[in-house]
Amino acid sequence: MERLLALWVGPLCEERPDGSTLRDHLRLLDALTALCPFVEPVRLGLCVLPLRGPSRFFGGDDAVYAAVRGIVRDVLGLELSLGVAEGLFCAELAARQGVVVPAGETTAFRRRQPLAALGHKELATTGRRLGLYSVGDFADLDAARVAERFSAAVRVLHRVARGELAELPGQRDTRLAARLRSARGEDVVGDEQTGFFGQRSAGDERAQAAAHRVRHRLGPEGVLVARLHGGRVPEDRATLSPWGSPSREVRDDAPWPGRLAGPSPITSLHQPVAVELRDEHDEPVRMGARGSLSAAPTSLVLLRGSRRAVTWFAGPWPLVERWWTAPRRRAHLQVLLDGGEAMLLCAEAGRWWLVGVYD
Amino acid sequence: MVASLRPVALAKSRLVPVAEPWSSLVPGGGLRRGSTVTVHARPGLGGLSVALSLLGEASAQGHWVAVVGVDDPGVVAMSDLGVDLRRVLFVPRPRGAWAEAAADLLDGVDLVVVRPPSRCSHGAARKLMDRVRERGTELIALTEPNAPWPLPADLSLHLTASRWVMSSRLDARYVTLRVGGRGEAARRGEHVVMVPDVRGRAVAR
Repeated sequence: MERLLALWVGPLCEERPDGSTLRDHLRLLDALTALCPFVEPVRLGLCVLPLRGPSRFFGGDDAVYAAVRGIVRDVLGLELSLGVAEGLFCAELAARQGVVVPAGETTAFRRRQPLAALGHKELATTGRRLGLYSVGDFADLDAARVAERFSAAVRVLHRVARGELAELPGQRDTRLAARLRSARGEDVVGDEQTGFFGQRSAGDERAQAAAHRVRHRLGPEGVLVARLHGGRVPEDRATLSPWGSPSREVRDDAPWPGRLAGPSPITSLHQPVAVELRDEHDEPVRMGARGSLSAAPTSLVLLRGSRRAVTWFAGPWPLVERWWTAPRRRAHLQVLLDGGEAMLLCAEAGRWWLVGVYD
Repeated sequence: MVASLRPVALAKSRLVPVAEPWSSLVPGGGLRRGSTVTVHARPGLGGLSVALSLLGEASAQGHWVAVVGVDDPGVVAMSDLGVDLRRVLFVPRPRGAWAEAAADLLDGVDLVVVRPPSRCSHGAARKLMDRVRERGTELIALTEPNAPWPLPADLSLHLTASRWVMSSRLDARYVTLRVGGRGEAARRGEHVVMVPDVRGRAVAR
């Protein structure tokens, strides 16, 4: 099981009514994402990240702990409690206790926790009567006996105690990602387009009248308006929605670590087109699991069949989003074709897509 | 003092503003109201970036603009080019009615970029250019070699070459363009601009 580094920030567990708790989480997660893209908020005050990758990158576990402590201090001005163990259940306990459980010793660590650590009052009381004091005592109980005496919920906890399940039911706040997203500034507003400061000038009125005419001519999807919001790649950052429809007004003042750098394509395909990349032996170029290409691409085949030579490429830039979207693995690649055209491709779901053109 | 400033103000208001590098390439430093501009380029050379960057300053100064016939506008790139997206109307797929949609919009916004989906007829071009003149607005037509704008425009920007600057990614692009047009096209001849630069803007080389 993966060793997780868990961060327990006590002052962030209690939500303050002014929304600042969520904002603090966002700042913290953004800063931590620069350290490791897999950081995950579990509940208010608790987030985890896999230790192995950052540890290799920073040259050791201690360097990662120091970096994380530094980030929390810089961003929030708070001290945190930090712990390491395998699996979310033990990682949280380790963090609350401030212990780093050495590799391979998580089972022993889990077994010596008090039974109350499983967070079930009835189990703790009944267990005491049965002479079960620790998680290990409970784990040693035969599964059939547990099934006789206890509810289905306790049977699940028994599996956690035995290490068959890595986390407690309800240990994660499943609504947290959505709440963080909305704290980032996505609020639903009703609108017609308005001018500066929400007031409408004569020019605004004329433009609205023209838009009405065009919509009348072409239908409700005929006239669109654009909005920008947060995201790491251009195709995520823009929304085109029908003019006059209620829309999400989104602010974009938060930093987005890992944003694709450099100019964005002036054509951003709202429906990406499947394409193929081939290497010099005419074999398909694939993305490897470790974020590298199977070979250098030398040609691009559009599915219409036309084939163009690739004269230069850059990337791939892998992108893994965990917590504010459904998990997606993508990697972006820029290619330059023999005619001088530049394109942005994206690997997702095992194939290449044309997502942008730098015309 | 007021009297002496007035004519200047009037002359200015006859121009739709454009920012650098365009302001030093076009007569009077802006686009004369009632005129038509063509941006002519082979696809992929940078024509779309040039045409849309002409909207930047006007939209930022409060003018409404529209983009007709550009299927999948890269609005992040437009924003980087200085376009204020709050005042842009997009008509991405006007189907057969692109000229009618453009004409509707020319009644209500100050600048319209149009990319005809097919060859534009002489009659349609004439009608649009008349409408522009009558309304004192501005039309920017983006055209390709196999479907040129059928009438001479007041100002033409013809992209002849482009070259990317790369590091570990695409950084910037030099675009060579020939400026021409009718009358006092101030700085005729060939010019090189950078669009986009590393921050996505259009800048003088």
